[in-house]
Amino acid sequence: MKLIEGETGKSYLVERMRLPVNIDRRLAALGMTGDAKVSVLNKKKRGALIINVRGTRFAIGKHIAENIEVREDMSDGE
Amino acid sequence: MGNRIRVGFMGNPNCGKTTLFNAYTGANLKVANWPGVTVEKVEGSMKFQDYDLSLVDLPGTYSLTSYTMEEVVARQYVQSDEVDVIIDVADASALERNLYLTLQLIELGKPVVLALNMMDIVEKRGMEIDLHRLPEMLGIPVIPVSARKKKGLDILMHAVIHHRDFMEHQPLIHHHDTQTEHQHQHHKEFVMVYSDEIEDKIDLLKERLRQKYPDLKKYRYVAIKYLEDDEEIKKQYPIETSDILKKSYETQIINEKYDFIEEVIQETLVNKAQKAASTDKIDRWLTDRFWGLPIFLLIMALVFVLTFTVGDWLKGYMGIFLDFISTGMTGLLTAADASPWLISLIVDGIIAGVGGILTFLPNIFILFLALAFLEDSGYMARAAYVMDSLMGRLGLSGRAFIPMVLGFGCTVPAVMASRALEDKKDRLRTMLVTPFMSCSARLPVYVLFSQAFFGKYAAAAAFSMYVLGMAAAIIAAYIMHLMDKRKAENNLLIELPEYKAPGAQTVWIYVWEKVKDYLTKAGTTIFIASVLMWFVLNFGPSGYVSDISQSFGAAVGKVIVPVFKPLGLGYWQLVVALIAGISAKEVVVSSCSVLFGIGNITAASGMTALAAQLSDAGFGPLNAYCMMTFSLLYIPCIATLATVKRESGSTRWMLGAALFQLAVAWAVTFVIYQAGSLLGL
Repeated sequence: MKLIEGETGKSYLVERMRLPVNIDRRLAALGMTGDAKVSVLNKKKRGALIINVRGTRFAIGKHIAENIEVREDMSDGE
Repeated sequence: MGNRIRVGFMGNPNCGKTTLFNAYTGANLKVANWPGVTVEKVEGSMKFQDYDLSLVDLPGTYSLTSYTMEEVVARQYVQSDEVDVIIDVADASALERNLYLTLQLIELGKPVVLALNMMDIVEKRGMEIDLHRLPEMLGIPVIPVSARKKKGLDILMHAVIHHRDFMEHQPLIHHHDTQTEHQHQHHKEFVMVYSDEIEDKIDLLKERLRQKYPDLKKYRYVAIKYLEDDEEIKKQYPIETSDILKKSYETQIINEKYDFIEEVIQETLVNKAQKAASTDKIDRWLTDRFWGLPIFLLIMALVFVLTFTVGDWLKGYMGIFLDFISTGMTGLLTAADASPWLISLIVDGIIAGVGGILTFLPNIFILFLALAFLEDSGYMARAAYVMDSLMGRLGLSGRAFIPMVLGFGCTVPAVMASRALEDKKDRLRTMLVTPFMSCSARLPVYVLFSQAFFGKYAAAAAFSMYVLGMAAAIIAAYIMHLMDKRKAENNLLIELPEYKAPGAQTVWIYVWEKVKDYLTKAGTTIFIASVLMWFVLNFGPSGYVSDISQSFGAAVGKVIVPVFKPLGLGYWQLVVALIAGISAKEVVVSSCSVLFGIGNITAASGMTALAAQLSDAGFGPLNAYCMMTFSLLYIPCIATLATVKRESGSTRWMLGAALFQLAVAWAVTFVIYQAGSLLGL
């Protein structure tokens, strides 16, 4: 699934990103690497998201969120 | 060299780097709680024991790549030979992300000292950091500091001095369980050891670099940058690599670094399961999908209400004081039998011009105080998120909104803040529309004309200028977006820092700097402009003239006046004031006082006199509104033009932008005046 489809309050694991090189590398440098855990903290109708990666909050735009493939984090119980 | 050590401060944005730098140097550099405040390197110096230290504060970066302008500035400097020791400032409450830059800095091969800042937040959250194990794993000194409370500063500098020649790491103690087939024992040598595949390539590249550049010190760093396919390094140290490198290993290198960081975190961070930070609770409201926008508008409205109500109340007293000075001075000079032209220069030129501007100090003070709170609390980055969808429709990232809000304060730093935008086109467009955001220097113009002509609706008329400016910026951006064929992609990416109570020291520095700027401007630009205006208006072809309409200024104004007639501004005095206002927007007001011969123009009685004079000439509220509108939108002040030129790197672009703003000002004012006249206003 895509990160943009993620629900507020849930956690996901990054599978892969399909973004322009500069954005891809910047996200990676911020800790958005393969299998990194991403929690969705907040979400807007038009797609901007607030996420938490490795203890830091980021706002990411719709285009970025659409191009990050994630899977649900099964270890993340209620 | 001798006892001189050059220290570079590196760190992620918002890690408290500038606060720490200020604590050492006593400098009053601006800090704020949003990423990208420091955009240029800043130098300071201090003495510590027997050493002369020169300290350099670099822009905050997340990594040593060169994808953004901040990164380029920081990286160029830290790679150069101008730095002896690097202080890596890390936000201990976000250690995992901060260590990424640390690993890159260590790879650079220069002495690095890690300053762990914000330990109090770590403790508050119930976490603990093992301060013995961390340096053991990283091989560099780790010093806990508190930049805000000025704790640990001496110990940190002590470590810097001790480690300045220290190139080899302490014995590193790692427990890697993977068996390596790589031929070297790198785990003893390097903090960050990659997989065999990458280490083999690094060795090959290092060998080749060694042959071609025997004097290079940082082979490993350059080799790693080659693996990351770094264009700049490849240009700097060209070698043949086609047989070694078939692809970029950048992603793999990043992943392996983070794998190592996870290992470090696991061993050094206790109680990682943190308590829900209060920031998340606040954010639930402030970034709510429904409430976020109304709350933002409410906050901005509050800022301006405070500026106008509290500010105007204080300004009243300043006006009375100015009246007193003006009358007193006239009396004094007359008693001293000074010549009429000298009395005129001092009272009508200088006191009226400079003094009139000084009465606005309370408004300016309150506005910047409010902006300082917004910036230091951490709300600015949220505003970028909240406004992202609106900005997206304009083809701009939500991040472009930060320069626009800062534009309410002063356009110069706002234009500089547009550097934080990655895309060059976004940056230029933001620079083009930011001057439409009404800066504090235009406030005197609104206050003067709205209070003189709008009575009890003065505040509403003045406030509408802010809305109009914002609308102009938004519409201009939208039209440019429509004309732009490139499909704009919404690539907002911004860190949302923890909220914090604004620090008294930080707010004080911020506001004081602005007040000082304002006073300096009154004493220099506005002073000179007032004197010049006085000369231009009191001398004509026939020498000193007592009738202002015979002066040089009047002659020039009268030539241009037809262009302004359709705008309801067909008065040569106002034309002259507007031209003078390009030096600084406040000069529009100070010039008016000279032009209309009203010494106390910003005091209540002066405003009444101005209204009476202009009304006699058929100038009513509609004309006043047009004057405010034109002042808002036309060519920004010289300081802004200079900044735009520097940031865009093109004089032509700067002139084009100014012309565009002039055209917009003319068109909008024309529409308002003509529509207003039709409606019989």
